[in-house]
Amino acid sequence: MSENLEQSFVAQLQANQNIIHKICRLYTAGEDAHKDLFQEITIQLWKAYPKFRGDSKFSTWTYRVALNTAITLYRKTKRTISTVDYESHQHFVKDVDYNYEEEEQIKLMYKAVYQLNDIEKALVFMYLEDKDYQEIAETLGISEVNARVKMNRIKGKLKKILNP
Amino acid sequence: MKELDLLKKDWKKNSDSFQQISEKEIYKMIHKRSSSIVKWIFIISILEISVSTFSNIFLNTDDVLRKMNHPEILVALEYLTYFNYLVGLIFVYIFYKNYTTISTTVSTKSLMSAILRTRKTVQYYVWYNLGIIVIISIFSFLIVFLYNPDMALLREKLAVDEKAMATTIGILFFVILAFFGLFWCFYRLVYGTLLRRLYANYKELKKIDF
Repeated sequence: MSENLEQSFVAQLQANQNIIHKICRLYTAGEDAHKDLFQEITIQLWKAYPKFRGDSKFSTWTYRVALNTAITLYRKTKRTISTVDYESHQHFVKDVDYNYEEEEQIKLMYKAVYQLNDIEKALVFMYLEDKDYQEIAETLGISEVNARVKMNRIKGKLKKILNP
Repeated sequence: MKELDLLKKDWKKNSDSFQQISEKEIYKMIHKRSSSIVKWIFIISILEISVSTFSNIFLNTDDVLRKMNHPEILVALEYLTYFNYLVGLIFVYIFYKNYTTISTTVSTKSLMSAILRTRKTVQYYVWYNLGIIVIISIFSFLIVFLYNPDMALLREKLAVDEKAMATTIGILFFVILAFFGLFWCFYRLVYGTLLRRLYANYKELKKIDF
């Protein structure tokens, strides 16, 4: 029984692991910290899995647990570099359709997003993932209207960071 | 915002560019230990509860009191001990109930407030015990001072010398203050590092809803 549970969990997680990677990309800098957070999220997901009823999609459930772990439960270890190691994110930039100006802007945007606080990052993350405001609000535990207002403020903040 | 749309495009393009982790590695991961703050808060809480429950043991006033032929004081102290254990049990129960409500599947705000609630229960318990210790210390001091025949000389001296009386009270007050100060520093140290980020994020979330 428990082995079956393990098997189905590992298979589902393996298929959905990019969600976790993306959260790690936003909340950590450097490969070690990325792995560290990935592991903690995996442990938390596994701990919560027996209560996963399947009434929501595995991916939706993963979003919530993973974000909660990144924002609330994760204890940054000493290995984690707190400054933005944005060069390490260069590997996300691919050579296809290379547009110098656009690439520069994207790099600056990543850099700006790293300067946001944990909660703001969560909003940006869900925005980038095309989540609607209802889901954003429910995940964070705030009202839908306020989630919208906050997102607009974040856009303003990002603009300010880009054009100081 | 044009730049944000650009970022979204790039974000999506790179969604599957991560080095994939194999099932075997995931198997290994789920058998590793968590290092989440909840685990640390749990360990520290259990330590706090045990230390403050048994701190009364160090406060052994029985011998002095027995010497004084006032059995009613001993009976009162015994009742107080039972009462203390009852309060301890109630606190442990509340702590356990709050701890079990901590779940990663609820909203971020609910998760944070569950953690803070659990934390506060322990904090109240520790303050309660500190209070009891201070009260017992003051009472023991007074009782010994008033009833212990060895103290007669000091009593007489203090009655005529107001300055000595003030000094005695001052020292007592200072000792209590130092005791509390020590605990406060300990708290700042332990929970400062553990909960600083959580408090900041919780404040930020609450600010959004205002």
